[in-house]
Amino acid sequence: MSTTNEKRQEYRALFKNNVKKRLVVDKIVHIIIFAFVIIAIIPLASILVEVFKNGISAISYEFLTAIPGSIGSGEGGIGPAIQGTLIIIGLASLMGVPIGVMSGIFLAELGDNKLARNVRFFNDVFMEFPSIVLGIFAFLVIVLILGHFSVWAGAFALALIMFPIVARTTEESLKMVPITYREAGTALGLKKWVITFRIVISAAKSGMITGILLSVSRIGGETAPLIMTILGSSQFFSSMDVPMDALPLRIWRLSLLPYESSQLQGWGAALVLILVIIGINMAVRYHFANGNGIIMRFIKQGVSTKR
Amino acid sequence: MTRLIDPSLEKLSQIMSEMGDMAIACVSLAVDSYLEGKNTNDEVYELSDSIRNKYFEVEDLIFDMLLKYQPVADDFRMIRSSTEISYAFSRFGRYAYDITQVRDLFGDISECTNASLIEITKKVKHMIKEAVLSFAELDVRKAVKIQEDEAFIDKIYKERLPKLIQSNNTKCALAEALLLRYLERIGDHAVFMSDAINYIVTGKHKPSEKRIASHTKSS
Amino acid sequence: MTTLSVPAQKITNSIDSAIPSSVPHEEEKFKMIAENVSIYYGSTMGVKNVTMKFPEKSVTALIGPSGCGKTTFLRCLNRMHDMTKNAKVEGKVMIDDIDLYDKSIDPIYHRRKVGMVFQKPNPFPTMSIYDNVTAGLKLNGVKDKRILDEIVEDTLKMAYLWDEVKNDLKKSAIELSGGQQQRLCIARALAIQPEVLLMDEPASALDPIATQKIEETITELKKDYTIIIVTHNMQQAVRVSDYTGFMYLGELIEFRETKKLFTDPKNELTAKYVQGQFG
Repeated sequence: MSTTNEKRQEYRALFKNNVKKRLVVDKIVHIIIFAFVIIAIIPLASILVEVFKNGISAISYEFLTAIPGSIGSGEGGIGPAIQGTLIIIGLASLMGVPIGVMSGIFLAELGDNKLARNVRFFNDVFMEFPSIVLGIFAFLVIVLILGHFSVWAGAFALALIMFPIVARTTEESLKMVPITYREAGTALGLKKWVITFRIVISAAKSGMITGILLSVSRIGGETAPLIMTILGSSQFFSSMDVPMDALPLRIWRLSLLPYESSQLQGWGAALVLILVIIGINMAVRYHFANGNGIIMRFIKQGVSTKR
Repeated sequence: MTRLIDPSLEKLSQIMSEMGDMAIACVSLAVDSYLEGKNTNDEVYELSDSIRNKYFEVEDLIFDMLLKYQPVADDFRMIRSSTEISYAFSRFGRYAYDITQVRDLFGDISECTNASLIEITKKVKHMIKEAVLSFAELDVRKAVKIQEDEAFIDKIYKERLPKLIQSNNTKCALAEALLLRYLERIGDHAVFMSDAINYIVTGKHKPSEKRIASHTKSS
Repeated sequence: MTTLSVPAQKITNSIDSAIPSSVPHEEEKFKMIAENVSIYYGSTMGVKNVTMKFPEKSVTALIGPSGCGKTTFLRCLNRMHDMTKNAKVEGKVMIDDIDLYDKSIDPIYHRRKVGMVFQKPNPFPTMSIYDNVTAGLKLNGVKDKRILDEIVEDTLKMAYLWDEVKNDLKKSAIELSGGQQQRLCIARALAIQPEVLLMDEPASALDPIATQKIEETITELKKDYTIIIVTHNMQQAVRVSDYTGFMYLGELIEFRETKKLFTDPKNELTAKYVQGQFG
């Protein structure tokens, strides 16, 4: 207690001088940050506006369901492309998500040894691989060996892109679950894997779903791997062993043509692709938020008494 | 590091020490003036009253400490015993006052012989001094002497009372009986004090109560 | 006149040795006995050769300054350290003559005999009240709904929570208040029918009223369970426990009946600690 009242007055006087300046600095920083946010949003917003503006006039029932017409005619639509995108995303997810989730669980739960560290390293490297390289790989491994382009190859390529992302985000989500829940489970005499699957995953599911959706959005727009694997076509899906169309491919093809009608269709296809991705995001979030989805019930089975 | 309870403990120790000094002065004054035939009623009354006030102060302080600090271990035993000891001090003051009142009640008792009382009063004064010192220094070895003194007082008390019945001079006999009674009670409380001090130091309750109880039943 | 002072040295008739008596009464039956337990974190020794015997159907409190090893010791009583890397436990922990650390027994099966309640209430966040209580049972294969309903009611009553939640057992557990969550955790621990209940500062994250309820719960529970509670609140130890162990720097300094330890501690260190003269 060596500060006297006089000294305290002195210090207080100092503060008063500083405060005004600091408030001004505070405001300036706020403005700068806000400005950068605007700068960041502008391109995004303008893309959306541009795509919408250019593509909306192409949308019609026929456009969404018909097969492409002859080149340059302006007729037909992108029906097969929409169907193809949905199929390829679905198949790739079926292949990539389980593998990714399991890897993520392995890394999170058993991840303190040398093997896990190496796996994690390769996982991170893999996430950054150029997708065209993965496409070439799928081409070599499946297309060349089977002798034809096929949906399997495409799904395989996209799954390769998907699973590192899912693995990483799953691992991070599981690690974010506070250790106290695992301790509670242990104290109840539960086996380690019961704790992981019934308690930890249930607490981490929000983060995991975000990760899965991220990877779905990523592959929804991938073009290069699809070029080498499903090639593209003008017909609806017929079998797994033949080429198939997809939105990114269709957009690419359409945008390369010199005809204005094709360009317009290209914009329309781009708009549809963006809407599809947003739609998947929102649908899954809604489902899980209400807990009524099939997958949700599966996870809760045995622990909940909801019927 | 000063704990929150330390200032209160200091205050308690200070008040108890003042009470001890006053108790010694009060009792000594009372018995000496009885034996010498002097009138010191007012002084004794003042001292006794002060002791009584300090007793209430101590009780308040103790309960305040219990409420606020929930003391344990040494602090707890000190506080617990302080209730017994401060009560003993207040009793010393009270009996001293009663002793001075005997002269008032009985008038002139200068013809009574006080031979037996002289021994007892010496022992009582010694006992009180020892008890107060024992508390100040928390020295339980003094307890032995205190108990010896109390045993002596008991002996004299038991011997004298029957003889008083045969006395011719009722006034003197009654006066002496009252004095013996008061002095014997002072002795009892001194022993209770030493038991309480023993509790502070060793944490054990002594069975002296049983001893006292048994002899009061028989008397 | 000399002023009084707290005695610097005590003159006692019999001075007990510094080795703590960990045996309250020889005739008492002990539910749990920890013998020569030492716990290492890497190369640091967190608990040094501690022996304690816990009488059945009683409450034992473990007190001591932060870092003295009391929580570390508590956690070894149900083998929680199996989950921690670099933790090594030596010694024996016996429940009813079975050593929990014996290599030939199934730790998971025997761990169920010992329930645990943690410092911060941790009900499973994605489950309802009902599911939380039955988590230890359902996830171990108990399916009979009638039995589960009975156990839920029974344990929630024991934890003094039944009346507050009986109308809405499906409510999410994290919507309860802190004190209610902790009582839910107690019910959850009791549901697996343990014989010993370990509590790691169960009321330290709660307000005074909730704390009071927890203490009342503990006092009721000790009629049927053996309870060991780590607490840094000494008044709580005095109110709630029958025996108290004082630990310091990983060693057991003194272990006696609570009343005796707090009114007449035999060890200087214990006396200093309980009177707030350090740590």
